[in-house]
Amino acid sequence: MEEVVLRLKDATYRHSLYAPTTFKPWRRIRGQGIFSANISLRKGSILGLVGPNGAGKTTLLRMMAGILPLEDGTVLDSTENDEITLSHENLREKIGHMPEQVRWQGRKTVRDALLEIGEMRNIAESRVDGLLKLVGLESRVDARLNELSQGMRQRLTLAAALLGSPKILLLDEPLNGLDPVAAAAFVLLLGKLTDKGVSIVISSHQVEGLVQIIDRLALMHRGQILAEGTMEEIAQQLNLNKKTEISGPGTAPDFRKYVSDHDSIDIEQSQQNWRVVLSKNEKGLLQKLVSDGVDLTTWIDRSPNVIEMLCAATGQSIEDVGLEVSSTSVMPLRTYRGEEE
Amino acid sequence: MSDISRIMVFAKRFMKERLFSTRMYIMLPILALFIPGMAWGFSDPNIVLPGGHQPESPMEVLFYASLGVVFGATMCAVLLSYDSVSRERASGVLELRLSQPMPRSHQAFAMILGSWQAILIPTWILLLLSVLVVRYRMGEWPSSTDSLVYFLSTALILLWYVLFTILASSYTREQGTAISFGVGLWFLFTFLWALVTTMVAYASGVSIGQENDATWVMLEGGLDLLSPNGVYHHLLETRLPQIDRGIAGWQSWSMALAWTILPTWLFVRRMEKILP
Repeated sequence: MEEVVLRLKDATYRHSLYAPTTFKPWRRIRGQGIFSANISLRKGSILGLVGPNGAGKTTLLRMMAGILPLEDGTVLDSTENDEITLSHENLREKIGHMPEQVRWQGRKTVRDALLEIGEMRNIAESRVDGLLKLVGLESRVDARLNELSQGMRQRLTLAAALLGSPKILLLDEPLNGLDPVAAAAFVLLLGKLTDKGVSIVISSHQVEGLVQIIDRLALMHRGQILAEGTMEEIAQQLNLNKKTEISGPGTAPDFRKYVSDHDSIDIEQSQQNWRVVLSKNEKGLLQKLVSDGVDLTTWIDRSPNVIEMLCAATGQSIEDVGLEVSSTSVMPLRTYRGEEE
Repeated sequence: MSDISRIMVFAKRFMKERLFSTRMYIMLPILALFIPGMAWGFSDPNIVLPGGHQPESPMEVLFYASLGVVFGATMCAVLLSYDSVSRERASGVLELRLSQPMPRSHQAFAMILGSWQAILIPTWILLLLSVLVVRYRMGEWPSSTDSLVYFLSTALILLWYVLFTILASSYTREQGTAISFGVGLWFLFTFLWALVTTMVAYASGVSIGQENDATWVMLEGGLDLLSPNGVYHHLLETRLPQIDRGIAGWQSWSMALAWTILPTWLFVRRMEKILP
């Protein structure tokens, strides 16, 4: 098993919301946040954070970056034999944080902007130049921040996160604004970093792209981590089986003849083709179909995808979740006379 | 790099960004007209002020010329620092800074120093020019203590306005709110404080505006300690023995210290708890 480099133990943070009343205009209440999060980061591995809007992904990353204070719980630094509670400043030494969509602006040059962050970490100028080269901004070092495109700003933010050679890298929607070639180069870069032992946490909405690069996954919903592990472990935890997708020309054969669990069959018939999704694998099915002379075009055995896992973990279907933010972001808080406690 | 030198380096970057900003280029001619311009006017040998008064010493001329600092340089301080925190916060750069190992209190001190230096450097250059103008027009230098008090108290009033504005900037998410707060405070202390003084005098039964009435003069002097502009004038008056408003030098310097420490403490505390 890979070495654990950082562990969040029962980490809790709740946002303070402004809720003025006539006689208490300064009144604040505790709102949604993160509740007893437990996560272990392994050396040289990539952990993907996935969840609907408002699930708490950014809040969790900010807690891990030492930006938001923990109300409860601890961040532990795992050494060879022991675990040490980290202060915010020690945590920030170890971590490189790439916030979502930093809108760099002003008359400062790219190099000056990065030098400024570098000085906060005692980084040599040569390292800054090297990082600008690494993220592909070598030709734009003297460009003013106002002149940068969103993709270039994103690269600059990544360079800022890499300053100080952090052991842990937290990336919030890192692929936003990057063109496909830059995104592919970015993925390669992440691979190089993990080879050097850097642990990475990525929060992204682009889940299908994310699955290609992550080693482990954490499913988040309403400020809680519902499941964490490898894709296989999570699928097992959620009782999700591999699915079989079969297609062929003409009319679909009667699959009830071949499959014992009739509820697991989902057939789509178009004018010229048919497609069947079996939610349970049936042993010897391919052999039976071939021996009966069924004409097949494709046969795909696929693992459950992240969206299916998320729906299974939250107990909601895609239709239930839909675009309704309130159903996903508002915590079921305890109430007293209709108000949050 | 030691903590102090890191703060200084960070402050220097902050200062340069503001010192060479477009808004400074806009404000600089106004400051140049206000500060040395007033020194030129008040050092005219034939000038007669209301009440038939004529400035007698270089320090007295500099005291009158300090109106340029009160009206121009303080407003410039507000305009240079209103977005020190709010802009970085809105753009997401603040989040990046807060995730760096440099302690937040050090970042706060660097922000204060940088914003302060950006207005202090041009103002001090213009004050120096004012001293030269006074020397040229009156044929006399202000004493070194007079000059020291003049430069130091001007630095302090600029620091106070920077602190108020930067504090507002850290609380507001919109830059418009931050600038409204800064300009509002500037109006209160520059124009409306006389109204506050009048109202307090009226409520206390003191005859208003009677310059020969000791009670009015004492009340006005006392209330001025609650305004940064008032404290600034009290500090300058410590070098003008002919002015006595019932406030001792130590009281003026103590209030100057309070005006410096309290908002600095509030801002540092705010930065330690600020959320991106």
